[in-house]
Amino acid sequence: MLKLAIYGKGGIGKSTTTGNLAAAFASLGKKVIQIGCDPKADSTINLLGGNPVRPVMDYLREFDEEPEEIEQIAKEGFGGVLCIETGGPTPGLGCAGRGIITTFSLLEDLELFEIYKPDVVLYDVLGDVVCGGFAAPIREGYANEILIVTSGEKMALYAANNIKTAVDNFEDRGYATVKGIILNRRNVENEREKVEVFAKESNLEIIADIPRSDEIIRYEDQGKTVIEGNPDLEISKIYIDLAKRLLEEE
Amino acid sequence: MKQAVGFISTYSSDEFGICSALYELGGMVVMHDASGCNSTYTTHDEPRWYEIDSMIFISAISEMEAVMGDDEKLIQDIIETAEQLQPAFIAIVGAPIPYMIGTDLEAIAMVVEGETGIPSFGFAANGMQNYTKGISMALEAITKRFCTEAFQKTEQISANILGATPLDFSLNGSVDSIKTWLLEHGIGVNSCFAMGSSLEEIQSASKAHVNLVISYGGLEAAKLLKERFDIPYVVGVPFGRRYADILANKLKNAVQTGQSRIATQKIHQNAKKRLALIGETVFATSLASAIELEYDLDVRVFVPLDTKAELLRDGDEWTSGEDDLNERLKDVDGVIADPLYRPLCGQLEFYPLPHEAFSGRIYDKENPDLINRDLRYREETSC
Repeated sequence: MLKLAIYGKGGIGKSTTTGNLAAAFASLGKKVIQIGCDPKADSTINLLGGNPVRPVMDYLREFDEEPEEIEQIAKEGFGGVLCIETGGPTPGLGCAGRGIITTFSLLEDLELFEIYKPDVVLYDVLGDVVCGGFAAPIREGYANEILIVTSGEKMALYAANNIKTAVDNFEDRGYATVKGIILNRRNVENEREKVEVFAKESNLEIIADIPRSDEIIRYEDQGKTVIEGNPDLEISKIYIDLAKRLLEEE
Repeated sequence: MKQAVGFISTYSSDEFGICSALYELGGMVVMHDASGCNSTYTTHDEPRWYEIDSMIFISAISEMEAVMGDDEKLIQDIIETAEQLQPAFIAIVGAPIPYMIGTDLEAIAMVVEGETGIPSFGFAANGMQNYTKGISMALEAITKRFCTEAFQKTEQISANILGATPLDFSLNGSVDSIKTWLLEHGIGVNSCFAMGSSLEEIQSASKAHVNLVISYGGLEAAKLLKERFDIPYVVGVPFGRRYADILANKLKNAVQTGQSRIATQKIHQNAKKRLALIGETVFATSLASAIELEYDLDVRVFVPLDTKAELLRDGDEWTSGEDDLNERLKDVDGVIADPLYRPLCGQLEFYPLPHEAFSGRIYDKENPDLINRDLRYREETSC
């Protein structure tokens, strides 16, 4: 089972990347679960035609008890991708990081992996590794590898470096390791070169270079990934090639 | 608010369940918690505290350590102490603060084990779950880690007793009585998880022919021993005379057939009088079975703790809290429960049966050993 966690600065395109990767894996015939680990609960929306799944935290808030079946907190989207969102507490209250751990523990109790038997699991994590909860997806038993999404912008690279440092700190704990960098372009001057400098310093590889694309925005407006919208587009092929590579190197 | 209580006590927490289950095994147990109210474990929930030495520690996590997520101090404190004490194992037990800040206790245990070479466990307790969950986690982890070798079976038929802690069985002689009862039926005692047995004896659990599960906390260990060594298990506590005899026969039958079974049974659905029995699943369903075998009473078990549907008899139910329990007590004529349940019982007949996990040591001297002996029922007095 390929289990990947996607990290990166807020707003850098993690959910777009994750959703398209999930759709790419699905288009290759793989059984995929995508778990959005963000209180905004918008990770999977482009796999669901714009009709979001009920986040786990919303379920717990509404019913004051744990769900008994996966179907109560999951929804199948494009290509059969099983979509789950942790969601979070009421904005300004509680602890979002704790919410992620609680959701993972709940998914374990519901025997999600045993029942659904996925080939690929994608964890789309809010921003940086800011606390224990946001490190949960890379703990033993969850993601095996991490993909860091960054552009050539200074703050995105700064966040990417923070993530790499946090992961290195967990070296003796059996956590996931960083597989590589996904360059999600913002059309910054000398963008590739800037990211290459970071990659070299961090001893990481840029495993995908995704151009800025109006097609992504157009299909997102329709609640779709570009894979669903038009798999023959160049941008779609980049996601599919990345998915193929990740499967080959599993 | 389903778990809110206004009139009754609350049960011991998962942290204390872990401490209690591991107390006699020679390990070092560290509750990763602020110093203070977890001394309740020693003052209320651990009757062995002044009689038997055990290496129970509290990390005394500070506000700044919690804010900073400073695991390193905990790790170094544990390593330093373990090097001095050389415990058989190290158990790092969670509590509300590490739970809220998402401390990865299993990863910390891995680091500690890497440094000390001593088998180490991280337990995701949080102080908000009840003790039965803690006992279950602890005994399952001990079994998983230490019961790995398939030993030759004992010549005489023998059993392991799984799920024994003072939280359910007090120190009133009940656990010794269970051992005596087994011997009277020609079944040797291979080990007892975890009262009166060393870690070495527990490590050789695979010598036994059958496992006797006497509390919810012993069930997962029993399932693991079944899976690993094909040792069948029987769930039940030998209360009363008739039920104890039935249970002994079921143990022997399990040895012959290799089949595991829940040995509690519902006898009376519509007796003239209905009693509620509130408590831990296996204890309560066994006692209810024993009473129904002896008397024309319908004894309904209400379990306000972790339980499993497979362990409940017809009519027995899990209850979510005080309000839920109040509703259910409207349909009974009397209640058998810890004395601290009395405020819920109004004019109902009340038969006090102290439960250490609920009232601590308060009623220790009034806690009867009901194993393999006559159960005397007198209306409106005591059971």
